[in-house]
Amino acid sequence: MAVGRKKLADYGLNTERILMEKHGPKRDEPSAFEAELGNLEQRLMLTTVGKALAWAQRGSMWPDTFGLACCAIEMMSIVSSRYDVSRFGMEVFRSSPRQADLLIVSGRVSHKMSAPLRQIYDQMLEPKWVMAMGACASSAGMFNNYAVLQGVDKICPVDIYVPGCPPRPEAVLEGIVRLHERIKAGVPPAYELRKAAQG
Amino acid sequence: MAVLTRDPLTNRPPIYEGSRIPARVPTILEVDPILREEGDILEINFGPNHPSTHGVLRLIIQLNGERVVGLEAVIGYLHTGFEKNMEAKTYWKAITYAPRMDYVAYQANEYVFVAAIEKLLRMEIPPKATWMRTLMLELNRLHSHLVWLGTGALELGAVSMFWYCFRERDAILDLYEMVGGARMHTRYFQAGGLAEDIPIGFYEECQRFCDTMPARIDEYESMLNGQAIFLERTKGIGLLSAADAVALGQSGPVLRASGVDWDIRRDEPYLAYDEVDFDVPVEAEGDVYARYRVRMREMRESVRIVQQCLDGMPEGPWIADDRKVVLPPRHELHTSMESLIHHFKLVTEGYRVPEGEVYVPIESPRGELGCYLVSDGGPRPWRVRFRTPSYVVLQAAPTAMSDALIADLIAIVASLDNVMGEADR
Amino acid sequence: MSAYADAPGFVEEREAFGETTVVVELERLREAAEWFRDEQGFNFLSDLSSADYLGWGEKGVAGYWGSPPQSAQTRDWTPPARDLNAPGSWGLQKLPEPKPKRFSVSYHLLALGPSPRRVRLQVWCDDGEPVQSVIRVWPAADFFEREAWDMMGIAIEGHPNLVRILMDDDWEGHPQRKDYPLGGEPVRFSDEE
Repeated sequence: MAVGRKKLADYGLNTERILMEKHGPKRDEPSAFEAELGNLEQRLMLTTVGKALAWAQRGSMWPDTFGLACCAIEMMSIVSSRYDVSRFGMEVFRSSPRQADLLIVSGRVSHKMSAPLRQIYDQMLEPKWVMAMGACASSAGMFNNYAVLQGVDKICPVDIYVPGCPPRPEAVLEGIVRLHERIKAGVPPAYELRKAAQG
Repeated sequence: MAVLTRDPLTNRPPIYEGSRIPARVPTILEVDPILREEGDILEINFGPNHPSTHGVLRLIIQLNGERVVGLEAVIGYLHTGFEKNMEAKTYWKAITYAPRMDYVAYQANEYVFVAAIEKLLRMEIPPKATWMRTLMLELNRLHSHLVWLGTGALELGAVSMFWYCFRERDAILDLYEMVGGARMHTRYFQAGGLAEDIPIGFYEECQRFCDTMPARIDEYESMLNGQAIFLERTKGIGLLSAADAVALGQSGPVLRASGVDWDIRRDEPYLAYDEVDFDVPVEAEGDVYARYRVRMREMRESVRIVQQCLDGMPEGPWIADDRKVVLPPRHELHTSMESLIHHFKLVTEGYRVPEGEVYVPIESPRGELGCYLVSDGGPRPWRVRFRTPSYVVLQAAPTAMSDALIADLIAIVASLDNVMGEADR
Repeated sequence: MSAYADAPGFVEEREAFGETTVVVELERLREAAEWFRDEQGFNFLSDLSSADYLGWGEKGVAGYWGSPPQSAQTRDWTPPARDLNAPGSWGLQKLPEPKPKRFSVSYHLLALGPSPRRVRLQVWCDDGEPVQSVIRVWPAADFFEREAWDMMGIAIEGHPNLVRILMDDDWEGHPQRKDYPLGGEPVRFSDEE
């Protein structure tokens, strides 16, 4: 059952768009994203305690310092005073994954680095979210070759993808805002939706 | 009483006696076997997920208490296969790859690759493009040193420097955005000149930047130069003598801080550097503080060069007129058949570069950045190789870290100013 | 008349694009390196590059058409005027000159000082032929030679620590060779569900 735009807005997901709407020959079946949200519908009713938890989680979500390449420089610039990320409670970049909530994978992930990345992801405590920042983290960008992992969602479940090469700081902030809206609406983190990394 | 002989390269007494390059493998500091038996050596991993933002560098260090007695740098965590990827693309598309290697000094990377193409093509670049390229390269030098200063001081504990430096960095990125459309990786340099003309309003904005920047550099220096903790953490740390630096292939601020007066902009000039007036800062101590002083003075010289480029910017076309390499102006496609055919051939197949091999060295903010380009006469490069300064500066890390504490290690790595994107390519 | 004709193992010297390339025999590379450093004063190793010429000239690229003659010469290169009678100038098949062996290793040297000079020292080798290490001549060659081994499979002889540097330690193959595939994955389109 497809989730219409009206239902998403009721839960506060104002900025979500349903991507990959029914496309191709199988027009009668819902797309993967819609099916996922359809299953969520039952779970999106939050109790008061749930709402309080969601407010706390999104109000001070501490990112992990996982800057890899060019996107790391733009990630640093969201901390700077012009694109202040402190207004979202996120200026505290923790180096230890045990103290971090959000893993912003900023930059290309080579195969050699994928093992440390998965290790850092495993060391983070639940609830944890992953943002694939930039084209290289989302899908390896322009580097379709032997050395680069073709998208970080091959090894960890990603909550939100931010396109760009590198994305402007405003784009990263947009990604953060959408992530906060997801949490507010009660959408669970990606590891509950997709169980584990899916190719 | 020992007589200190003068180093022939610097004409000054050497910073330390002899050579501190490790004897067996120059890039690995090995633990003394006697110490290994009697002492308590702890081997720990420093990275690749680093709190400091120099990228994914892994240092395997052996500690005796707080003292670093063994060091090995392991790299490759950001290896992206740039060189092989560029062989599969036409030159036009390959230029897009180049700035993503050294992602802090991206204009230098773009320029070195475009310069190698132009050298093989034997193209003549219009003066306006030459001067504008000089201006953008110097703005990029400022950008790189600002990021270095902000993150370097942050690692040493001077946390507020980050916000001050990134305020100016955003001003520079505004200028880049005005010119090229994107804050980073502007893709503004083409084989033949610039992609587009300089926009209206750029000169005023850049002039305003040049007027305010020297005062800002004074502000940074007032915060750090006299600060006792900063001086304690940087003076006398990370010594590198001139002979060792030259033997290890160092260049740029690291070499100049060891007393060797070598700058490719002045000694092998390219672009408009032989027509602008600037000094090359050289310091004699060879420690972290000397590298800091060299980079601060270089920032001031960069502002001078940008000002001179603004004053002396010539008029004229911004790209060469060679239709075999450069796309014809859009309006001509409606009327001229030759332009249409040229446009078609250039977009589908790409321009062909004559057979040959060249090596083009330029002075990137980190040192000598070189591009070795081999062409077979076709539209794709046969072999591209970038000699990146960060790759080479990591070879000097064990030599600079003989006799260091673990807290000094952070300061030394910060002073070497390596960017792992270009070290790993 | 060649400035570097006394180099040990001298084979030939080429001048192109304002650069000098000196080719020496593979067996006498170490001697030649020491000669360049001690006799000629090239104390700085800028770069050590390797290139793979497998498949060179097989596709047969059409000739370069040449730039029109320029009026002002700002550099000391003379751009080729468009000679319409030169072979390959009309876009006909023109094959590049064949190379002596499969791999070339180029050492870009610099003489630091008031009058800097640059030279490219080049040797040619085949797959598996050992190339002497110059790490005792210029310690800067350490990482470069490891990369030549890792990426291109050039067997460096005499290097104290020849392990992979950019790829994983247990990687098989040498990625920058021409017979190694570029890799990656095929691009998926949303229509093909």
